[in-house]
Formats: sequence, structure tokens, C-alpha cells
Amino acid sequence: MRLELHATPDEVMRGVEALQEFATAQGVPQTAIFGLALALEECASNIVNHALKRDPQGKFEVVMEKSMGAFVIELRDDGPEFDPTATAARRPRAEDDDLPGGWGIELVRRNIDEIHYRREGRINVLRLTKRLVT
Amino acid sequence: MSLDITIQRPAGNKQASVITIRLAGSLNTETAPELERQLAVVVAEPIKDAVFDLSELKFISSAGLRLFAAARKTLKDRGGQASFVNLQPQIEVVFDVIKALPGISIYKDSADLDRYLALLQSELPGDAR
Repeated sequence: MRLELHATPDEVMRGVEALQEFATAQGVPQTAIFGLALALEECASNIVNHALKRDPQGKFEVVMEKSMGAFVIELRDDGPEFDPTATAARRPRAEDDDLPGGWGIELVRRNIDEIHYRREGRINVLRLTKRLVT
Repeated sequence: MSLDITIQRPAGNKQASVITIRLAGSLNTETAPELERQLAVVVAEPIKDAVFDLSELKFISSAGLRLFAAARKTLKDRGGQASFVNLQPQIEVVFDVIKALPGISIYKDSADLDRYLALLQSELPGDAR
């Protein structure tokens, strides 16, 4: 499934709902769908808010597919080069009292088995793979 | 999926009040701004404690966690806390990221929360009950 989404929060959730419908139709377990939906919400929101600056004219692409043992989401945007996999893991400590940062990518790491980033010319390509237990 | 927000203010002495906020649906990048607006009104009141009942919350992302973290910081600075009750299993997993923060308490069900609220009530001065 391929989607072209505008850089707005409601379009992010349109993509998430499309994923939930597609994955359900493909027989993906609900617990895995929750993790995939969360990962897509976080990564797409990052593109909308930071790469494309919530410009409603801006667009990004989401491709999702289920293979034998995995579900793959690929996000492509033409924003500035940004590798979210290079962001240090942030684990709140008991003494932390600041408002959070970096929790989105932490949630992606916890729900996705493989995260790969590459730059193709002027395009950021982020590939998320979740292995499915058969 | 939308987010339904129900805010319950108990009648009576405000000093004894604990505001309950029930959330149903999806707390995400699209719905978080409305909750942020309503929470701004809630924390502008002289309350110390807020209870978030999440029994009907189906989805949450970091956009929601950020709001909860900000609310608990405000309440903690007043000597109170943000409490969360009735988390569904998938929500509990997401909460794992922030549950270590000071000023956040998670209760498994209403009975568990009631014990905390009764303790709060017992610690109030007599004329505030």
C-alpha cells in the first residue's frame, strides 16, 4: 500500500488508520498493529513537525507491505537530511524533572525490530521493520 | 479515531478537590492540542491533584505523554501529583517510558486509586474535608 500524505497532523492519523485497516486485513496480530501504528505516528509526526514544518502544501510518502514474516513501513520525505537512528536513546531517570524530549524515537525503538535510514539524493528514507511471530 | 474528554469537578471545598479527567479514544498528534487546551484550564485552578481515568483510552503516542508530563510537573510543584488509573495493557506499555518520572503515580484500578484518595483526604485539615 502506498500513501501520499500532506504535512498536517490529521494526515498523519489518516496514514495510521490506513495502516491499521491494511494490517488487520493482512491478519497481523493486534498487539503488533498497535506497535506499528505507534511507530508510524511518531515517525510521520516527526516529518510533519520538523522536516516539513507543518506546511500543508508539503507532502511525504508512506509505503507499507507485509511479507511472510515481517511488516515493513517506509517513509520518504524531501526535508533536510535527518537520521533519527543517530539520536541517542533517552531513558528517563527517577530524578529527571525536565519536560521530555526524544521520547518519540524511544517508543519507535521499543516497537520496531529494525530501523534503517538512508539519504537518496534529496530524500530521507526511513525503513521500519517489525518481525511477525508466525 | 477521536478523543473524548470528560472533566469531573467534585462539588464542595476546592481544597479537598481532586479533578478527574476521563479520556476515551485516541490521544495522538491530532487530538493532543485539544486536551492541551482543556488541561491549561484545569491546572489554572487551585488544585494539587488530578486523576486521569484511561479505561477507555485505546491509543497514545508521545504527543500525549508530553501533556501528562507537563501536567504532573505543574502539580508536583504544588505538592501534588498526577495519577493514572485503569490503563489498558497497550497503554501501560507506552507509559513504561515515563512512569519513573517524579510526580506520576499509576494505579491498577479504581479500588487501588480510592485507597490513595482516602489517604489524601485523611491528611487534610478538618475544616477542609
